[in-house]
Amino acid sequence: MNDNGKIHSRQLMVLAFLYTVGTTVLIIPAGLAAIANQDAWIGAIAGVAIGVIVVGLYALLWRLFPDKTFVGICKAVFGKWFGTLLAVIHMFGAFIGTATVLFYVGDFFQLHFLPRTPFAITCSLFALVVVMGVRMGLETIARASELMLPWFVILFGVLVLTLAPEIHVDRMLPVFESGWKPVVWAGISFAGTAYMPIVFLFSVFPRVKSPDKAWPGMIAAALIGGMCVVLITLLCVLVLGPNITSRSMFPSYALVKKINIGNFVQRIEAIMAGLWFVTTYIKTTFYYYSWVTSLSEILRLKNYRTITLPCGMIMVVFSLVVYPDVVYWQRWDSTVFPPYILTLGFLFPLLLWIVGRWKKDRSYETGRKT
Amino acid sequence: MTRKRLSLLAALALLLPLTGCWDRRELNELAISVAMGIDKSDNLYEVTVQVVQPGEVTDKRGTSGQVPVTIYQAKGVTIFEAIRKMTTVSPRKIYAAHLRAVVFGEPLAREGIGDALDLLSRDYEPRTDFYLLVAKGTTAARALGVLTPLEKIPANKIFESIQTAEKAWAPVRAVTLDEFIGDYENEGNNPVLSGISVIGDGQAGETKENVESVRPAAQLQNSGLAVFRKDRLIGWLDERESKGYNYAVNNVRDTVGHVPCPGGGHVAVEVTRSKASIRGSVKGGRPRLAVELNVEQNVGEVQCRMDLTQTKTVQDLERRSEQTLEEIVRGTIEAAQRKYKTDFLGFGEAVHRRDPGAWKSLRSDWDKHFETAVVDVKVNVKIKRTGTLGNSFKEKGRE
Repeated sequence: MNDNGKIHSRQLMVLAFLYTVGTTVLIIPAGLAAIANQDAWIGAIAGVAIGVIVVGLYALLWRLFPDKTFVGICKAVFGKWFGTLLAVIHMFGAFIGTATVLFYVGDFFQLHFLPRTPFAITCSLFALVVVMGVRMGLETIARASELMLPWFVILFGVLVLTLAPEIHVDRMLPVFESGWKPVVWAGISFAGTAYMPIVFLFSVFPRVKSPDKAWPGMIAAALIGGMCVVLITLLCVLVLGPNITSRSMFPSYALVKKINIGNFVQRIEAIMAGLWFVTTYIKTTFYYYSWVTSLSEILRLKNYRTITLPCGMIMVVFSLVVYPDVVYWQRWDSTVFPPYILTLGFLFPLLLWIVGRWKKDRSYETGRKT
Repeated sequence: MTRKRLSLLAALALLLPLTGCWDRRELNELAISVAMGIDKSDNLYEVTVQVVQPGEVTDKRGTSGQVPVTIYQAKGVTIFEAIRKMTTVSPRKIYAAHLRAVVFGEPLAREGIGDALDLLSRDYEPRTDFYLLVAKGTTAARALGVLTPLEKIPANKIFESIQTAEKAWAPVRAVTLDEFIGDYENEGNNPVLSGISVIGDGQAGETKENVESVRPAAQLQNSGLAVFRKDRLIGWLDERESKGYNYAVNNVRDTVGHVPCPGGGHVAVEVTRSKASIRGSVKGGRPRLAVELNVEQNVGEVQCRMDLTQTKTVQDLERRSEQTLEEIVRGTIEAAQRKYKTDFLGFGEAVHRRDPGAWKSLRSDWDKHFETAVVDVKVNVKIKRTGTLGNSFKEKGRE
């Protein structure tokens, strides 16, 4: 639709990578450790395995409709009315996703850095940058994320290296005590947080140059992003132990608080937090981008930029009320979110692919008969 | 051009809200607390906070001769309230990010410190690198009142002293909040904390004279380990038992011990390396536990007649050291099994790691199983050096 510019397959890789790491790295170790204790990291690996299937499905759907957004695919497969209904549900998913991710960011800031600053201020400032990026267009964000990648890699490297001396290998013993069930559950929750939101990148896919070369790269990027989160989860277990990990609101932040090399390199958590600024920014931006472009496509607007500002305001306000309190948040994340994202991120694409495939085959058949 | 200027102005204006100083608190608005003591009286928590007097601890001249720290105390149903209540006596709000030590009074520790620990782990301000201690035979308020020489801030003295003693003498253990909670939650382990006691006249220790005389009237001493069952203190280990504990849990870096000579007298040996592992397995429903200890030593002081130039003498000394160390470690295990009937060495966790299946049937009443379990202690000592001398000078005088 009406966006200028195209992005390279390499830029998509960077985006998909940072998007996968996103807010996942900040919150997921707690949930995994709560389900699978010291086997949390095995759960994370299971999550990556499930994730590859999910992302593979997206790639199939993408190849079937290389020049359509999710909204476009819905309409192409199910016609005007039912297709639009699916598209609206999808669009609301992106909307809720944006608000929740913004809430994570605000909550993280409030808890650890700016306890007395009003929540609305932190959220608005972050949202302002997000809206600015989206207004400038996909090309700009893609280039910005390319610039952010080295910072992410440096900080991530520092994180892993500086935590190495704090590792207690015996914390992961006995391995695989919890058995298959918790591991698979943890895996599904991991895939739900890290991989299924990639469905919202369908608003980016039609703007990628030469999709045939781009999709393997995207799967690879998602895989690498997942492995980064696996590594962080493993470090959480090895450094903090499963109990503290599961009890922390933001375990990976609790993790970097542990960095202490010879009583000299310590208390660098505020610098390390730069890691999450980068990834949560990308995550929020693309949730938001997907929401705004889907909405404008459903409404058949000429240019999505006209609604970026009002949508930005709605996003900030909604993020203030999306979770009334922290306990509600954790309950929603553990009971409502998994089936919700499973519907949006797996059932919908699967349905679209099967029906789309069938329709294409049929039209091919009929085309040959005539 | 105007557009450029305007945007420049806007960018400059943006700097104001972006400084992150919404709730800034400058140094002169903070009461930097370095140690916190928690006691209980009449069902209320009594919190004592040691606060630095910034002007008195600077190296530059111009101190006005006041004491380097001051103490604020308040009572409350919860600790959080008590700390906030301190603003009624303190001109500044207590700032906890630089805490070095949290001391629990022994009476409170015997009642249980679990509830008291919640605030420390829940609040965002304290970091997790301070040590937990128990004031042996006294209240935390008393222990925090003693002024100390060498380190102006008593909390720093407590912090440094426990680190130094752990490194060079062994019978203490620096325990952080995370470690305590980890051992507390672990079904196959129980926590220990180092004790701190006031020796001498505690009252006199609270005045400036204490640091003005060569021999302070009161001093703080690290004294043995406090054994907990879950969060309740159930008893103390003496110095020997505390050392045995650290040997067994592989927490000895350097220490000095003595070994009896064949013909009377003693040899002091310095431990330079110590590597221990605790093992547990289950055979026929009964746990089999083991401690294996590998130690490298140097001869440090000889108070008897022996020919250190002979390999045989050194080998004999190694056997004797092994015997002594085994007795020390056995003494600690004995205390755990008979006296306190509590596994604070982590044998249960070792069983859990080795045999998770069997652990499921043992974990509910592990302490009972532990009490009757057979524990093997295997010690292997290697003497590497004899200091700067070979034989003692006394050896020559005999001939």
